Amino acid sequence: MQLLSLINSLPGAIAQGLIWGILALGVAVSYKILNYADLTVDGSLCTGGAVCAVCIAAGVNPYLALLFALLAGLLAGFVTGLLHTALGIPAILSGILSQLALYSINMRIMSKSNVTISRTQFTLILTSAEVRHAILVGTIAALAVIGLLFWFFGTELGYAIRATGNNEAMARAQGINTNTAKVIGLALSNGLVGFAGGLLAQYQGCSDINMGRGAIVIGLAAVVIGKAILGKRENLALRFSATVCGGIAYYIVLAIVIFAGLSTTDLKLFSAIIVACFLSVPFLKDKYLMLHPSKGGKPAC
Amino acid sequence: MKQHSSVIMKITFVLLTVTALFLSGCNSGNLPAASAAKTYRIGIIQLAEHPALDAATEGFQATLTEKLGDKVSFNLQNAQGEQTNCTTIVNKFVSDKVDLIMANATNAVKAAREATSKIPIVGTSVTDYVNSGLAASNAKPGANVTGASDNNPVSVQVELLQQLCPAVKTVGIVICSAEENSRIQADEAKTALEAAGYAVKIYTVADSNEIQTVVTKACGEVDAFYEPSDNLIASNVTTMSNITTAAGKPVICAEQSMCENGFLATYSISYYDLGCQAGKIAYDILVNGAKPASTPIFTFDASNLALFINKANAAELGIKIPETLK
Repeated sequence: MQLLSLINSLPGAIAQGLIWGILALGVAVSYKILNYADLTVDGSLCTGGAVCAVCIAAGVNPYLALLFALLAGLLAGFVTGLLHTALGIPAILSGILSQLALYSINMRIMSKSNVTISRTQFTLILTSAEVRHAILVGTIAALAVIGLLFWFFGTELGYAIRATGNNEAMARAQGINTNTAKVIGLALSNGLVGFAGGLLAQYQGCSDINMGRGAIVIGLAAVVIGKAILGKRENLALRFSATVCGGIAYYIVLAIVIFAGLSTTDLKLFSAIIVACFLSVPFLKDKYLMLHPSKGGKPAC
Repeated sequence: MKQHSSVIMKITFVLLTVTALFLSGCNSGNLPAASAAKTYRIGIIQLAEHPALDAATEGFQATLTEKLGDKVSFNLQNAQGEQTNCTTIVNKFVSDKVDLIMANATNAVKAAREATSKIPIVGTSVTDYVNSGLAASNAKPGANVTGASDNNPVSVQVELLQQLCPAVKTVGIVICSAEENSRIQADEAKTALEAAGYAVKIYTVADSNEIQTVVTKACGEVDAFYEPSDNLIASNVTTMSNITTAAGKPVICAEQSMCENGFLATYSISYYDLGCQAGKIAYDILVNGAKPASTPIFTFDASNLALFINKANAAELGIKIPETLK
């Protein structure tokens, strides 16, 4: 009975994981490629959701509303980038400042704390009432985003951003404007987060001022779980796909955790534990193999 | 150089004009008010923005405006669900020395009570003043807090569940872990449901991101839901109803607007009427000099309730509405 209800809940977890996986792609761009832990995400997810919900409530086509959500996210990331590069504010702090400011901006956009876009009143691209369809739409959106990112990071500009993240001093020595690269990278990252926020608002039927709270943790979780799944392979498209799979895996693990009978008040604690586990496992594995070279590891040198 | 000084002159002139206009504007606003008969200034703090609380505030304002006309002014502030905002807003009211504070929802009343023991506080949308520590008793609150309670008898909701969904055996209740008011209602509902022979499971969520995960789990374990007037769920009814409806689980709720937004049915009080009752209490305090400490807390009884059924939701769930409820 328990197992059956767990299996029944898996499609919902997959659909939710796909949407958060797209958010995680945005986090991967800033955290993995640009090497910048960007906390703007907690605010820009809601900005995307708010713009999308307000547009749909005003009668805008839901696809167009998603585009606006993406643009709003781009703008949020652009501001964080400027705070960091033009005003010299440290990375973590510039993200926190944008996130804080976005709370008020999100309130302005929605003009109240919650905008409902019920599937019974509006045509939505995806909704949690039809999970299979939502999974299909989520998969298409995720694949499209992965394809676009793969193409973008193969262009000259994309390489400039990757080089900036890998070794900023060297990138600058090669004549790359690292400030421009950072601003573009952050705008792209938050644009994707805003896009995910738009999808999420449609999926759950409303945008809420608190919907982004803790989003960075879930995004990071997806990135690190994805990395754990994939190991050390470096192909960019594979890494992006693994990130989306990481989002799905996160929600499946969460579903299993609560179906194991743990109280739902402990969800936040377990989110943190899941992330800590996946972050520490590769490290501990390397350490173990280093101490036991006979098990296939290479001795430290 | 000459050009520069003329620009500075112009700017100074503009600034002076604006200041003069601003000052004269202030004067024209203030002087007649001070010379006219007393205006009652009321600070309204509303915890969050959703239809039920909005309706209570509207009812309150309408009642006082009807009784006092332009002799009453409202400063309406919304805390957007954040306790820290409540404290900020209430502190502003206290330093403004408003004549009365209307606090909408339990946490707003609590913030107001912490901030002042002098200014009368009238609450609405509070379920249980006594258990929330806001009043000594419903008949004699004992301090500067009184008001109207949205508590309604759960027994009628249980009867509604029995009539609409006779096959149900296990009922789930989803509440926000941060809302004490919801916990009180959930425990009360649990007692009433268990007395009627149902098994009851209570689930908690911390924020809107957790609703889907928790409700999906709950759908696998229960046959139907009862939702008390929880502020988090009231703001996110669609998120929950998308999942429960897809899983074929009916939701009986405590309040009309939740029903309109996607849940199946309710015997609801009118939050507008609730606000009106609070308005009458406020009028008594302001004009007739009634003391909050000895003003009884208003409570609805079963005859005040009205039936609401979401027909679209009933059709989606394949539930036939019995003749007795039509």
